[in-house]
Amino acid sequence: MLALLAALAGLQLVPAARGEEIPRLTFAQLADSMRANFGLTQGIMVLSGREVEIQGFIIPAGPPDLSFFLLSRVSGTGNYCCELPSGQDETVSVYAAKGLSLRYDPVRVYRIRGVFEAGHQADRSYGVSFFRIRDARVEEAVGARIFKVGETKAPLNP
Amino acid sequence: MTLFTVAWRYLQGRFLTSVLTTVSVGLGVGLVIATVLLTRGIREGFIEGATDYNLIVGAKGSQTQLVLNVIFRMDAPTPNIPVGVYENLRGDPRVEVAVPVAMGDAYQGFRYVATTEAYFSPFPWRRRAPALSAGRFFRSDAPGKPDYDAVLGADVARRTGLKLDDRFFEGEEMTAYPLTVVGVLRSTGSADDRAIFISLASYWEMNEISRKATVKPLTAVLVRLKRLSDLPALHRGWNIAPDIQAALPTAVLLSIFNLLSLVEDLLLIVLGVVVIVVGLYVFVTMYNAALERRREIATMRALGARRITILAIVLLESCAVAALGGLAGILGGHGAAYLGAHLLAGRGGPITHVFTVSALQPVTFGAVVVLGALAGLLPAVFAYRTEVAENLAPL
Repeated sequence: MLALLAALAGLQLVPAARGEEIPRLTFAQLADSMRANFGLTQGIMVLSGREVEIQGFIIPAGPPDLSFFLLSRVSGTGNYCCELPSGQDETVSVYAAKGLSLRYDPVRVYRIRGVFEAGHQADRSYGVSFFRIRDARVEEAVGARIFKVGETKAPLNP
Repeated sequence: MTLFTVAWRYLQGRFLTSVLTTVSVGLGVGLVIATVLLTRGIREGFIEGATDYNLIVGAKGSQTQLVLNVIFRMDAPTPNIPVGVYENLRGDPRVEVAVPVAMGDAYQGFRYVATTEAYFSPFPWRRRAPALSAGRFFRSDAPGKPDYDAVLGADVARRTGLKLDDRFFEGEEMTAYPLTVVGVLRSTGSADDRAIFISLASYWEMNEISRKATVKPLTAVLVRLKRLSDLPALHRGWNIAPDIQAALPTAVLLSIFNLLSLVEDLLLIVLGVVVIVVGLYVFVTMYNAALERRREIATMRALGARRITILAIVLLESCAVAALGGLAGILGGHGAAYLGAHLLAGRGGPITHVFTVSALQPVTFGAVVVLGALAGLLPAVFAYRTEVAENLAPL
């Protein structure tokens, strides 16, 4: 019993002990990172391969088990509000390690954590993408704020 | 004589009660198993039959109706859209493939689906492209010059008995337009197995209204994009149009799953009540048995049986009834699920993988035995406390 309690306490202490926080990405940062020639800024490239967190709306664009979906700055529903989404910088391709058991709600904001990849890539099943998150873990982001392009950015924690 | 043999003999001694208790446990477990297998099978059926296209563009109305009809061949078709929508999408630089679909009537309950050759193309992103088991695909013949060729889904060929080169029609007005079977598809496990595919030219010519119409009708257009990042814009772009809508097929399926989850939650409550009732029935049966058997138990005690031995015998009885009922219930539940799936599939419902062996079977069996032990615990304690002197007194 004591060993179990010690193990649990150890688990809780690990992130604090390492002093690492997961960098929070926003769609505004993704938009700012893309150059006219579709190149990406160094600021975003340094995050490639690292675990990041990003919030957005789920657009189911893959199989119904949500092993793949798009994360978008705007919701897939609501045809009479918000500006028309466009551009590669407004969606992130999200790959879950396995199917998610998630109650999908098109107007709810979700928090995604996983390994970030930046740069042009062509996937046989899901086509071309610029931003991807792999091994994603998904949860509802209660009270989340979605940044519009041009708004104040959240600080990046490289 | 082992404890199990004694317990078994006791059960044989109360044969009718033991059988009835076992049957009631079996019915409860069977209900749980069948419900879980069928709901899981329906969910898997929807996932298996899901399309690889990103968007379905059709007439304004219910998105669920549009997806259920076009992908799963359920429900009534949504109103027609002009063929110009397809031409517009085909010319859109963001679109990789646009496939027109027109839903027709049916032959022996199997729906006509008019489309182009592109519907069968083995694009690299398709999980399963339709493949032929016999014959050839129809050609996308020119409007006004139809060949009336038909390609049958696997279930259609099997259930109607139609073969290559057979000519068929259904209904008096179709006698002038008999279709000829030119191909039969391999089974895909999707709704394509239950469809009869014809060319758009044949479809338009077979229908009196579309034959005369200058703007030919369609039911929907299946759309695959070059870049998924264009999906939100294209989706929104079509949805702000007054008479056309674009549906994300996976989003519609997930909404159906959300509804299915509510039904599953409700079923879970009902099944919970069933489990409690069955548990109580086992308890009452074992308690009555212990009451009736007080004299026998006292005799066993007088002959040297320890209290713990009496407790073990009653618990073993209870567990044996639960185990037998659980086993019968698991087998019966699978049988009921098979029949249910067969009936549902016969009506065109998406259902598959009903007999997947998973943790469900061993966990259910273990839970039933534990429940049986719990239900028998109080009667066992009652038997454990049986006093020899009181119960061996002359009757």
